[in-house]
Amino acid sequence: MVSIRAENLTLTYRLRRRLSLARNTVPLPHGGRIEGSGRTQHVRALDGVSFALEAGDRLGLIGGNGAGKTTLLKILYGIFEPTGGTVDIKGRADALFNINLGFRREATGRRNIVLRGLINGWTDEQISARMDDIVAFSELGDFIDMPMKAYSQGMAARLAFSVATSLEPEILLMDEWIGAGDPEFQVKARRRMSEMAEKAGIIVLASHNHQLLRRICNKVLKLDHGKVEHFGPAEEYFSGEKEDQ
Amino acid sequence: MEAGSHETAQTMKFLHEALGDIGSALSKRRIWFALASEDISDQHRRTSLGPFWLLINYLVFVGTFVFIMGRSEGIPNYTAYVALGLLVWFYIMETMNSGVGLFVREESFIKGTTLPLSLYVFRMTMQALMRAGYAALGCVVLLAISGVDLNWYWLWSAAAVVLIVFVTPAAIMIFAFLGAYFPDSQFIVQNLTRVGMFLTPVFWAHTSAGDLGVRGIFYYWNPFTYFLEIVRVPILSGDAPLRSFALCIAISCAVWLLALVLLGRLRRQVVFML
Repeated sequence: MVSIRAENLTLTYRLRRRLSLARNTVPLPHGGRIEGSGRTQHVRALDGVSFALEAGDRLGLIGGNGAGKTTLLKILYGIFEPTGGTVDIKGRADALFNINLGFRREATGRRNIVLRGLINGWTDEQISARMDDIVAFSELGDFIDMPMKAYSQGMAARLAFSVATSLEPEILLMDEWIGAGDPEFQVKARRRMSEMAEKAGIIVLASHNHQLLRRICNKVLKLDHGKVEHFGPAEEYFSGEKEDQ
Repeated sequence: MEAGSHETAQTMKFLHEALGDIGSALSKRRIWFALASEDISDQHRRTSLGPFWLLINYLVFVGTFVFIMGRSEGIPNYTAYVALGLLVWFYIMETMNSGVGLFVREESFIKGTTLPLSLYVFRMTMQALMRAGYAALGCVVLLAISGVDLNWYWLWSAAAVVLIVFVTPAAIMIFAFLGAYFPDSQFIVQNLTRVGMFLTPVFWAHTSAGDLGVRGIFYYWNPFTYFLEIVRVPILSGDAPLRSFALCIAISCAVWLLALVLLGRLRRQVVFML
């Protein structure tokens, strides 16, 4: 059974002055609060975040820019390690963060599917099993054996989308809902996303589109400057929001 | 006492994590092998000679040195001397130069996937080996032309190559962290490797044992000298340079230890530095 249990999650990192002779080399913070002054500044990106999700839960992450939505997603995926608190995840997490990552212009579409599959951790059998479906869904036809630099932007986006959504996720982490292509393809893409979302055990979706969240999610976690401002059923939250307006 | 044991436990944890990272990368070898091959063919995709340009580039360099310096240096079989020296030096130079920018180049992967850091290091090692392979072809041909005899001492040189390959990932790792934490190091390393070609006995030799001189200093106090000599001496002099070997093994162990410590300590932090 899949589940996510986050207990008092905190992530702070030091804004290090890099050893450099040039100025302005401090990396920009991903968001959160900047604490301290002078040489040792800390960014508190997440502060005491706790929540629990069970199988079937669809969590919508909301909050302004820099509230910590992406940071939380990256902790759940395992890119960031929390500096405080614990996160206990049962089930395999798949992420749709940057679906264009790793595509190579010089390689053919087919080769890119293999490379992207390997990066996603698919086995050879999984890659060859999904290949035909991906090719068919992307509607690239004979272009699939051409180098990707010959593709139009829309074609490349369709291929990226087809590979990214060729998952059977247990836990699906998304930073904004994804789509691609011309209006006709968009309809198909929407259907595919919905199908995938239905199959997933747990979804965590960060988005600014409240209509979408209302349609998909049953729970809402609102972050503000790294802290949980609200955590509860989506229906309750969104109906309250409507009255405010 | 308390603090000491805590420190030891912490170090053990770091080492454990570092080895876990490396183990995970080794099990994903299909990925870095595939990406390294793509890198090589991308670099030469539109040329008609492809990666054989690496071979030509190497041959032109060796040829130039032999033509310009061959007579004045007074080294027996200068062609073979330079051929072996440049093969090893180009490899060292390339791993240092591209290693220092490695994590910066892989920023989007490091920030977007959970692939272990060692995977990028192995990918680069693989790429450097493939590139050096083309030069090695030229080197073997030059050795044959210049009349070096094939004998059992070549096995010592083969062992030396194995040692150099073994230490490569650790060296790349150290330079990659250096480049991530100290961006200026990219230019410093670039400069040092360029100058290093002249400060290291790649195409000159230190022959007068008694008199140290400027060349002697750069010969004896330069760690790269020994990595060149363990490859070169067995083939050219029919001799097993045991002391150089011992030194190179010691350096390699130290480099690996440093790489493991850095990987363990900085593995989770480097993502915030990029």
